[in-house]
Amino acid sequence: MELRLDPELESFRQEIRTFINDVLPPEIKERQRTKVLNNATVPDQNEWMRILYRHGRSVPHWPVEFGGCGWSPMQIFIFSEELYAADAPEFDWGGTHMLGPVLYTYGSDELQDRFLPMIREGATNWAQGFSEPGSGSDLASLRTSAELVGDKYIVNGQKIWTSGASHCDWGFFLVRTDKTVKPQLGISFLIVKMDSPGVTVRQIPQINGDTHLCEVFLDNVEVPAGQLIGEPGMGWTYAKFLLEHERTTSSFIYWSKRELDRAKEIARGESRGGRRVADDPAFRARFARAEADLLALEWSVLRVLAHEETDTPEAAAASVLKIRGSELQQEITMLQVDALGEKALRFYEASPVAPPPSEAWPDYVPGRTAVALIARAATIYGGTKQVQKNILAKLAFGL
Amino acid sequence: MDFAKSDIQTMLLDSAERLLSDSSGVEYWREQHRSPLGFAEVRWAQFAELGWLALPVPEEAGGLSGTIEDVALLNIALGQALATEPYVSTVVLAGHILEQSAGEAGAMEALGSIAAGTLRIALAHQENGADPLSLDGVAMTARARGGGFVLDGGKIMALDAPSANQLIVSARIEGEEGIGLFLVPSGHDGVAVTAYPLLDSTRAADIAFNGVALPADALLVGGNHALAVLREAVDRASIAFMAQAVGAMEAAVKICGSYVQERKQFGVVIGSFQAIQHILADMFVAAHQARSMLYHALANADQPEARRAAALSAARIVIGDASQLVSRNGIQVHGGYGLTDEYAIGHYFRRLMCLEKHFGDLAAHLERFGGSVLA
Ligand SMILES: Cc1cc2nc3c(=O)[nH]c(=O)nc-3n(C[C@H](O)[C@H](O)[C@H](O)COP(=O)(O)OP(=O)(O)OC[C@H]3O[C@@H](n4cnc5c(N)ncnc54)[C@H](O)[C@@H]3O)c2cc1C
Repeated sequence: MELRLDPELESFRQEIRTFINDVLPPEIKERQRTKVLNNATVPDQNEWMRILYRHGRSVPHWPVEFGGCGWSPMQIFIFSEELYAADAPEFDWGGTHMLGPVLYTYGSDELQDRFLPMIREGATNWAQGFSEPGSGSDLASLRTSAELVGDKYIVNGQKIWTSGASHCDWGFFLVRTDKTVKPQLGISFLIVKMDSPGVTVRQIPQINGDTHLCEVFLDNVEVPAGQLIGEPGMGWTYAKFLLEHERTTSSFIYWSKRELDRAKEIARGESRGGRRVADDPAFRARFARAEADLLALEWSVLRVLAHEETDTPEAAAASVLKIRGSELQQEITMLQVDALGEKALRFYEASPVAPPPSEAWPDYVPGRTAVALIARAATIYGGTKQVQKNILAKLAFGL
Repeated sequence: MDFAKSDIQTMLLDSAERLLSDSSGVEYWREQHRSPLGFAEVRWAQFAELGWLALPVPEEAGGLSGTIEDVALLNIALGQALATEPYVSTVVLAGHILEQSAGEAGAMEALGSIAAGTLRIALAHQENGADPLSLDGVAMTARARGGGFVLDGGKIMALDAPSANQLIVSARIEGEEGIGLFLVPSGHDGVAVTAYPLLDSTRAADIAFNGVALPADALLVGGNHALAVLREAVDRASIAFMAQAVGAMEAAVKICGSYVQERKQFGVVIGSFQAIQHILADMFVAAHQARSMLYHALANADQPEARRAAALSAARIVIGDASQLVSRNGIQVHGGYGLTDEYAIGHYFRRLMCLEKHFGDLAAHLERFGGSVLA
C-alpha cells in the first residue's frame, strides 16, 4: 500500500482546470452559481453539453470507440470534481450516465448508432421512467405494460417522479412485457419518444417551489418494437446494471464539496451581533465535522474506484457511499441554511435570473433553502436509506 | 400545578377544532401561499368573533385577560392546522408591548382594536447582522425634533409586516440610554415596505425608514425599560411559536402514523417494517418531549428575566431538535410523496423550519443556555 497522490494526476487536474476555465462561458457559470432552482437552467445545460462535445469531452467515461476519453477512473473523478468546483452545468444524467452505458453494453448496433451520437452531442435530454405510484422501493412490482402488436409495442400505464420529463425529448422506460412470469423476469427496457401520441406529462409542484419532478401517463402509446433494448424480459438486469454502474457518483462527493465551500462563504459573509458565523465555535465544530466526514467519504470513493479488495462484496461499499453521501448532502445544505439563520426562511420563486443582491441579501442567499429542501430526497431516490441499510445488512452480514 | 384543562380552555379548543379543521388542509394552504397576504381576511374576522384576538388582552381594554397557558393552548391548535394568520405578531407580541405601555392613551385604544379584529400590528426590530436573541442590536435612530421624533434606518425580516396597519419600531433615541419602541402607521410618509413570502407562506418585509416624522406620543416606551418590555414580549411570542411547533409536530406524527398504515410496498403496508416502526417511535418520543418542554417554559413564564430566559432557551433547544427529527423523518417515511407540495407533510416541514428560526435559532439558544448552565 502506498497512498500518496500520483503527481501526474495533479498536472492532469491543472490541465482540466484550465480547460474548463477556457471553455465555460462566464454567463453560464454565473447563472449556475446564482440560479434559484433546477428547471431554470436547462438551456444552459444543453449548451454546455454541446461545448464539451466540440472538445471531445462530453462523455469521457464512455469507451473510446463510443466517444470516451480513455481516462482512468481517477482522471474521470478529477474531471467531475473540477466541473462542479467551477459551477459548470450538470450533465444530462439520464443520457450520459444512465442510458448511455446500457446502450453501449447491451444495445444492438442499430440502437447504438441511432442514439449514442444524440446523447454524446448534447442534442437530447433523457427521462428515466422507472418508478410508478405503487412501485417505488418495490420497483419490480411495476405495472406499466407493453404489448407487442405487429411491429409495435402498445404501452399503457403511469410513471411518477420522472425527473425533468417536461423538458425531455426521449425517455427510457421499464415496462412489463410478460405478466405470466416472476415479476423481475417480465420487465423490458424500452426507449420512448416523449412527444409520441398518448404520452402526457404533468409537472409535480414540489416542496421547494420547483416543478422538476413529473408524472408521465402512457395511454396506448405506440412504440416501434426495435426500440426495445437487448432482449425482452431482461429489463431488470439492465436496470440493475445501470444503477450499479454509477456506484461512486451516488456519493455526490463533488457536489457536496462545492456546497461545503459555499456554506463556508456564507459563514464568512454572515454576522450576528458583531461575530461572523465563521467565528462561532458551535458552527466551527459543525464545519469541522462536515469537512472530516467529507474526507472520509472521499477516501471511501477512492477505494471503490480502485476496486480495493475486501472481504465483503463491493456492493456493500456502494451502499456505504450512498448512505453517507446522502446524509452529507443533507447536513451540508442544512449548514448553509443554518448559517443564513432566519434569512434562510425567505421564499424565492424559481428563476434563472437571481434577484439583484443587496447588503442584507447577498447573492448566496437565494436558492440555498430550496436546495436544502429537495436534498431531503437524497435519502429517498435511487434506493431509500432504509432499503440501503437492508441491502448492507444482507451483503455485509448475510442477514 | 394542574394538567387538566379549565372550562374556558376546553371551550377554546372546541372552537379551534371546529373552525380550523374545517378550513385547513393542503388545498387551503396552497391557496394561501398564492394569496396577497398569505391568509384569508374572513378567517381573521372569525378569530375575532371567537374571542381569540381578545384572549390575552386585559379586560379593561375589552379583552378576556387570558393566561399565557390559554394562549399556548390556542397556539397548539393553530400549529396543528398550520394557520398562517399573524396571530403571534399582533396579539401576543404587539399586545404585550401595548399592555406594558398602557400609560399612553393610544395604547389602550389600540388593544381594543386588536381584540375587535380591526387592527394588526407587526414588530419591526431585527436589523441586518444583529444578534436575534439579545435584542439590543439596534442601529436605527430616533432624533428629537419639534416636540416629536424623526426615525431613520432599516429593518429586515419583520414578520407579518405586509398585513399590518401599524408597526412597532425599535430605535435608539439620540442622547438617551437604551432604546425606544415607537408606534408607526405602516403607510406613513417615509416608510417603505418590501414584502416577501416565507417558506411557510406567512409574509415578512424589509422596511426602510427615511426621515419618518412622528408626534411625541408615538413613543410607547423608552429608556432602559423598553428593552425589558421587548424581551418579555418576544419571550411570550417565542412561547406561542413553540406551542405552534408542538401542535405541528403532533399533527405530523399522526399524519405519518396513518400514512404508513396505508402505503404498501412489497405487498405489505410499510408500517409493518421494523425500520419504519422505529422511526415513528423516535418521532413520538421527540414530540412528547417537546410538549413537556413547552410546559417547562410556561411554568417559568413569569419568572425574573434570567430564569425565564434560561427556561425558554432550554425549551427552544428540545423543541428545535424535536422539530428537526419529526419533520425530516416525516418526509423520509413518505418517500417521494414527501417532496411534493401536494402532501401535508411537506407543509409541516416548512412551518417547523420557520418556527425553529424565529427569535433566535437553535444555535443561539444552545449558546445562551450553555452560558447559563455553566455560569
Ligand atoms: C427528487 C427525486 C427524483 C427522482 N427521480 C426519479 C427518476 O428520474 N426516475 C424514476 O424512475 N424515479 C425517480 N425517483 C423515484 C425514487 O426512486 C423513489 O422515490 C424511491 O424508489 C422510493 O419510492 P417511493 O417514493 O415510492 O417510496 P416508498 O417505497 O413508498 O417508501 C416509503 C418509505 O418506506 C420505506 N420502505 C420501503 N420499503 C421498505 C423496506 N423493505 N424496509 C424498510 N423500509 C422500507 C422507505 O425507506 C421509505 O421511508 C425520484 C425520487 C425523488 C424523490
